[in-house]
Amino acid sequence: MATTTAEIFVQPRASLMGTVRKTWRIWGGVSLLIAALLALLYFVLDVEGVKGILQFWAILNVVVTTGLILSSRTVREARRWHGADWWLAMISGLVLVLFITVGIVPEYLAPYVYDEEAGPARLGPREVPASYILITRTELPYENFADIGYDINTGELIERTSNAKSVGAIDEKANRIVGQERDTAGIRVEVNREATGLEPIEALELLSTSDVLAERGRPLVAIVGDETQFRDLVTEYPNLRIVGTVGPTHQGGFLFGTNLLGQDVFSRLIYGTQNTLMIGISAAICSCLLGIPLGLISGYLGGILDRVLSLVMDSLYAFPGLVLAIAIAAVLGPGIGNIILAIAVIYVPTYFRLVRSQTLAIREVAYVEAAKSLGATNPIILIRYVFPNVIASVVVIFSINVADAILTGAGLAFLGLGLPETVPDWGVDLSKGSQFVVGGEWWLVTFPGLAIALLTLCFSMLGESLSEILNPRLNRA
Amino acid sequence: MELTFGTLCGGGLLLVGLFLLYAILTGSRSLRNYVITRLLLVVPMIWILLTLVFVMMRILPGDPISTRLKPGTDQATLDRLRERAGLNRPIYEQYWDYITDIAQGDLGVSNNVEQDRPVTDIIGRRFPATIELVMPSILLMLIFGIISGALSANRHKSAMDYSFRISSVVAYAIPIFWLGLMLQIVFARELNLLPVAQRINPQYANEFEHRTNLYVIDTLLAGNWAAFGDVLKHLVLPTVTLTIALVGVFIRLTRSNMIEILQEDYVTASRARGVPERKVVYFHALRNSFIPIMTLIGLQVAVLLAGAVLTETTFSWDGLGKLLRDGIALRDYPVVQGAVVVFAITVGVMSTLTDILYAFIDPRIRF
Amino acid sequence: MSLFQVVPDHSQVNKQEIILSIRDLSVEYQTRRGVLSAIDTLSLDLYKGEVLGLVGESGSGKSTLGKAIMRMIPSPGRITKGQLIFKNQDLMAYDENQMRDVRGKQISMIFQDPMTSLNPVQRIDNHIIEAIRVHEPNISKDEALSRSESLMERLGIGRRRLKEYPHQLSGGMRQRVMIGLALALKANIIIADEATTSLDVIVEAQFLDLLRELKDEFGLTILLVTHNIGIVAELADRVAVMYAGRLAEVANVDELFHNPKHPYTQGLLRSVPNIAMDSQDLYRMDGTPPNLVMPPSGCRFHPRCPHVMDICHQKQPWLVRVDEIGEGDEQVGGYDKHLASCWLHQEYQGATQARRY
Repeated sequence: MATTTAEIFVQPRASLMGTVRKTWRIWGGVSLLIAALLALLYFVLDVEGVKGILQFWAILNVVVTTGLILSSRTVREARRWHGADWWLAMISGLVLVLFITVGIVPEYLAPYVYDEEAGPARLGPREVPASYILITRTELPYENFADIGYDINTGELIERTSNAKSVGAIDEKANRIVGQERDTAGIRVEVNREATGLEPIEALELLSTSDVLAERGRPLVAIVGDETQFRDLVTEYPNLRIVGTVGPTHQGGFLFGTNLLGQDVFSRLIYGTQNTLMIGISAAICSCLLGIPLGLISGYLGGILDRVLSLVMDSLYAFPGLVLAIAIAAVLGPGIGNIILAIAVIYVPTYFRLVRSQTLAIREVAYVEAAKSLGATNPIILIRYVFPNVIASVVVIFSINVADAILTGAGLAFLGLGLPETVPDWGVDLSKGSQFVVGGEWWLVTFPGLAIALLTLCFSMLGESLSEILNPRLNRA
Repeated sequence: MELTFGTLCGGGLLLVGLFLLYAILTGSRSLRNYVITRLLLVVPMIWILLTLVFVMMRILPGDPISTRLKPGTDQATLDRLRERAGLNRPIYEQYWDYITDIAQGDLGVSNNVEQDRPVTDIIGRRFPATIELVMPSILLMLIFGIISGALSANRHKSAMDYSFRISSVVAYAIPIFWLGLMLQIVFARELNLLPVAQRINPQYANEFEHRTNLYVIDTLLAGNWAAFGDVLKHLVLPTVTLTIALVGVFIRLTRSNMIEILQEDYVTASRARGVPERKVVYFHALRNSFIPIMTLIGLQVAVLLAGAVLTETTFSWDGLGKLLRDGIALRDYPVVQGAVVVFAITVGVMSTLTDILYAFIDPRIRF
Repeated sequence: MSLFQVVPDHSQVNKQEIILSIRDLSVEYQTRRGVLSAIDTLSLDLYKGEVLGLVGESGSGKSTLGKAIMRMIPSPGRITKGQLIFKNQDLMAYDENQMRDVRGKQISMIFQDPMTSLNPVQRIDNHIIEAIRVHEPNISKDEALSRSESLMERLGIGRRRLKEYPHQLSGGMRQRVMIGLALALKANIIIADEATTSLDVIVEAQFLDLLRELKDEFGLTILLVTHNIGIVAELADRVAVMYAGRLAEVANVDELFHNPKHPYTQGLLRSVPNIAMDSQDLYRMDGTPPNLVMPPSGCRFHPRCPHVMDICHQKQPWLVRVDEIGEGDEQVGGYDKHLASCWLHQEYQGATQARRY
């Protein structure tokens, strides 16, 4: 959203690369290469069994990198001088590592698979779903809830539950069964909503006296009811029997509740981490890959090219980023690649402007002049002299930029331009849940929103404190 | 003359124009040159933005017709629709039509949002709503942002500085629409203090004449106090949401500018002259930090408009942002393009105005 | 050494009246490497009407001393001990409000860079009016304006110029504005912190002439902080040489130039280039200025000193009189006395008797 933030993190500093030892640079390169190879095998060639290795490799690298950063002398020294900022950077950095880990191996951490129908729909956090029993007449051969649709041409299902929400849950479940069967077998099973107003006694009476084989009306063939209310009553009717419980039981309920498809909100959050991180980081990387070289070349060479590029980039920069992304995403259509592209475009000017202005400054510095007078070619000057000096400020901006990109991605999803609905994503979940805010299902928006806020908070806090630590102008004394 | 949104805008522009004229006539030559140059630059800037919109919507892969239709539509229908929209003509002809149409104030006709209405008409009614939402937010953002940024910078690295900084980062990191939803849940649903969404309670909507479509002004003109109160109540949550989303960045901008300026020699020099600390910070330093802040306000307009899209969607606020969203949801291509064009023009005009204002604050900028 | 045309005129100086007395002043900075001792137990007297040149390398603490007198040491630095006796009162005991009355009205400061020392968005006249009205709130704006106009007239800045912004003036003019700001309040002491460094040579000469005239006209006492020995020779009555946060030597300007006692001063004077000198003669001092977080033990100059002795490593020398002690003359300092802190001379005086100033 806020492309302008980048402006305030401009901070000149000597080469950041210099602080990274050469051995570690080589190790980083090799490890990235291996990761790229594994990713190629997994995503493009679909080789079996690579996924585990890829995950292991990614986790290993996250751990090693974190360890290296934490144990480096620069980090330890910064702590003494930058107290509070150091702690802010540290805490947000560690939470980010946690997020990344979750994003790499969601399947080991989530209690359910993201698209698994884990329980009744719209269950509040920690709410224990009522246990339902299916009651039918002894002569009917139902073995479970789904059988009802298979067996008879005209049947009626009556429910009797304790709360309206659970009625909805059962209702939906029944409806879905009916829906499935209707398409294949042409069987009509209706859910009698009026019957739910009956007292348990009345409902059982109706079921017990209902004539299944009679032609008139729609006979009642089964009741789904709250176990606590019905179990004892049923014993008084000899021609009724309990078929069994309906749906799985969940003793502890669901940590963050369930959504309207009965999926576990918490599991979807865990699985959604990957996509959210992927969108944010990939978009920021794409912007870097476009913006930095353009800025370097434009700032270094100057002339007409610089004028035209600057004009275009400034106009892009002035334009509301989200609106731009909306327009691009609307034209490109849904899909993770398209979303990343739409977001990446709007952050190119951020890097372009930053890198260009720094290049302009560095170009005039004495040692670059000296290198030029020694016959260094333009590419060499750009790569050896200008780029290392620019990269420190890019690191800070990058962190803020990822936060921005995540927010924009979530905004797009909220406007209905996000990922396809089959993919777990926080923004999409939030967007779908937002329709139920007025109905009181607050957990559907609160938790995905909190997850987005926490993740963007970590990224921007990291960027903010890094800029405070790295920016010499703010610590002149 | 009848008071409508059009005449209101016209009046505003006239005032700005008179002011600029005054500045041009009475100001120094350098100031005059600056203002004139900057005014002349509006046209190319808006032109570039419009071209950008065109490029995005026509040249990127995928075109408005095929994304609008259900997959599986046969090629013949597709071609017929393309032809009707003029998409089979050479790109430069399309571009020419696009620019000339906009220049004549013609943004096409809506397909689905409001069938067969001119887009300019719809925007004319929706734009005031956005203004009504954005104006108070800008004001609040300036007041809170500058005060807390200045306080934070004045006590650099103090507990207050950290608390302002952390809360500004938090405000920035919160997704704006989520914040809106949370406010709805707490204040509208649970506490039942404020209305959940929309601009006005439908019961009042027809009680007064919609002259300017700025409901605050309309209800006041009609002297309908009940409706006026209702409009204000509806304004609270969206305004607060938008302000919180904006103020985080703004605090940081003010703070980092102030910190730099407080280290300038002239600040030390005026302290050495015995100027009271309060005056040093809130007169000398703050006034100078307005200079960079001024340009940033111009850029903030972009962020503000993006925020308005999300806020309006969250609160079903019938403004330009929601129009854009409706256009996308209903695949109404002329409406989407029209809204984006209006955004572009607003950005162009606003950045020019802030740049000119900038010249008035900073005597050094006049070239 | 007759490198400089030293013609000090001591007629304006009241040799009895000490206007400002710095006693045992220490300033420390908290840095990321530890505590930096920028000024260590420094004592110095400023006599009414004199121009005292304060010289030293960059980092020797001379600018810090200027700021310390105004009690304007920026955080994370602070004055850890000492007294600043001004008109028989200790400035260290003043609260921030009282101190504000002193700043500008009693003691004024001229900064190094006149470009950045003026508020870029404020007109020149407003600077002066503000300075006057801060200290004398009863004066009307018009009165303040007319006062500033006549003052600026005296400084050679026309009435029209007053309506302009700082960036429209030349460097020399801006520096004159800075003096005007100091004079507008009739300050007794002016601390000129590298005031001529950013000016080119011609403008610098004009500026020094102006300063000399004004000194007599307004009876100013000037603390001239500079690293430029030439300026000191031209303008100062007395010179104090600082090294690594301590005073190395204090003397009359002619005494100091002709008879420097401290090895550092000797080296400093010999390292100033001169047209009449063969470039081979130019002296280059060994070593680098010390790290003040971990200063050298004993005399802070000992690692670079050509005359270093054992005691220099161990004990810090006091500032003592090194000139001939006349009959009935006390060993205390005074306007005409030549002081140095060096074991070469303390040995000669007898270390036990040595009295510190």
